Amino acid sequence: MRVTANSETCAVSSLCVYRVPGVFDQDEDGLVLVLDESPAEGLHEEIRRAARGCPTKSIRVVEEPATANVPGEAG
Amino acid sequence: MSTQTPPRYPFAWTPPMQVPEALRNIHKTSAMEVTLPSGDVATLVTRYKDVRALFADKRLSRNIARPDCARISKDNDLFMDPNIDPDPPEHTRVRSLVTKAFTARRIEALRPYVQQVADQLLDEMEAAPQPVELNEALAFPLPIMVICKLLGVPAEDRDQFRAYVDGFLSVTKLPPEEVGQCRQNLWKYLGDLIDSKRENPGDDLVSELIRVRDDEDDSRLNEHELHFWTQGLLIAGYVTTASQIGTGTAVLLHHPEFVRAIREDFSLVPSTVEELLRTQIMGSSVGTMRYAIDDIPLSDGSVIKKGTSVLLSEEGANVDPEVFDCPMELDIRRTENHHMTFGAGLHYCVGAALARMELQVATESLLRRFPNIRLAAPAEELPRALGGFMEGFTEIPVEW
Ligand code: SF4
Repeated sequence: MRVTANSETCAVSSLCVYRVPGVFDQDEDGLVLVLDESPAEGLHEEIRRAARGCPTKSIRVVEEPATANVPGEAG
Repeated sequence: MSTQTPPRYPFAWTPPMQVPEALRNIHKTSAMEVTLPSGDVATLVTRYKDVRALFADKRLSRNIARPDCARISKDNDLFMDPNIDPDPPEHTRVRSLVTKAFTARRIEALRPYVQQVADQLLDEMEAAPQPVELNEALAFPLPIMVICKLLGVPAEDRDQFRAYVDGFLSVTKLPPEEVGQCRQNLWKYLGDLIDSKRENPGDDLVSELIRVRDDEDDSRLNEHELHFWTQGLLIAGYVTTASQIGTGTAVLLHHPEFVRAIREDFSLVPSTVEELLRTQIMGSSVGTMRYAIDDIPLSDGSVIKKGTSVLLSEEGANVDPEVFDCPMELDIRRTENHHMTFGAGLHYCVGAALARMELQVATESLLRRFPNIRLAAPAEELPRALGGFMEGFTEIPVEW
């Protein structure tokens, strides 16, 4: 999974930062920062939730096909 | 089309604990006409996907100081300041000055202070004869003290401005002369506050906004804006949270099984707070008034015509069965709860994270201190505030 965020449209709701603190953060002005663009699999569901919940749709998640030694997710 | 008068809006909370009956059938169409307290008619957008999209739609202007825009109240020009432009780019400029104060880090830095205030209020509550009225004991003083701290308002002044704000937010509760008097008093109070901060700046938000106003060569906030947005923060930062603490807690206490579950597992507090925000929006969506500056198609194929006054139904979106399973049910364990109570898009409530933190502290502290707390009056008899901007419960007697 690749995670990116558009700080230009971010409305500083802090929702993503609270939901997945190690992956999302905020700069001095409160705009979203992505700390970890390829987060561990255990975080994926929460990250998808954060993306769905972002009030400005500023978070983009690109699902990548699973590599040989990482089991893929169903669906 | 029938020639009947559209239903009155806000919808009635009868009985007071239940989501208004009108909301159950609201999703059959994407929009419906409603009659506001002023008698004007506006179009209420009802479905989650439309509400969410329209919060971010530039074809809806937030500038409602237009002669042909519907008015909320006959007696009060709520949110109609012809000198303020709440649309981008003006809005973006002001908003970016304010958001800095509301980052997750800043909000978390305030948490110990909020906890300390809550503990102190609960000490006083514990010492008082039962039953205690929860609004006065906790729900109102907590957010007032927090917003005073954030904005640098002296704590002694809080009763005074509370009275002004009540008047400011009257829809039908007070006659126009009294509303006008409250607005003048509040404006003057803020003028004095700004003057005193100019002389003795602190590390509060008002001092920060003054600094931006006075020091920047491009003069990023004019005097009127400085005044207006300080007022907005003061009002928004207090009444909404206060109303939600009181009303949300009353609803929670009405469900002892949830109180028990939380007492056994306090990690349920955040999802409980979200669920109470979703289902018990204390007012209506009259504050979302917009004006269509172009035709806007909706999901059912109908079109909002240019020149229409539009309200975005947060409470309708929040119970849309397309988005929420069993939407009328209170489920404190809901994990996916992207409700619309704080709006969406670039106008998303700047104080949402602060409000959430206050609600979490208030809920958890109250249930830790008084594990057996319960309503001391039948839930059906709790009075709701009518004729104001917020329609939460006005009296919430509790005992333990
Ligand atoms: S959830 Fe969206 S709007 Fe909120 S801070 Fe994150 S990116 Fe910004």
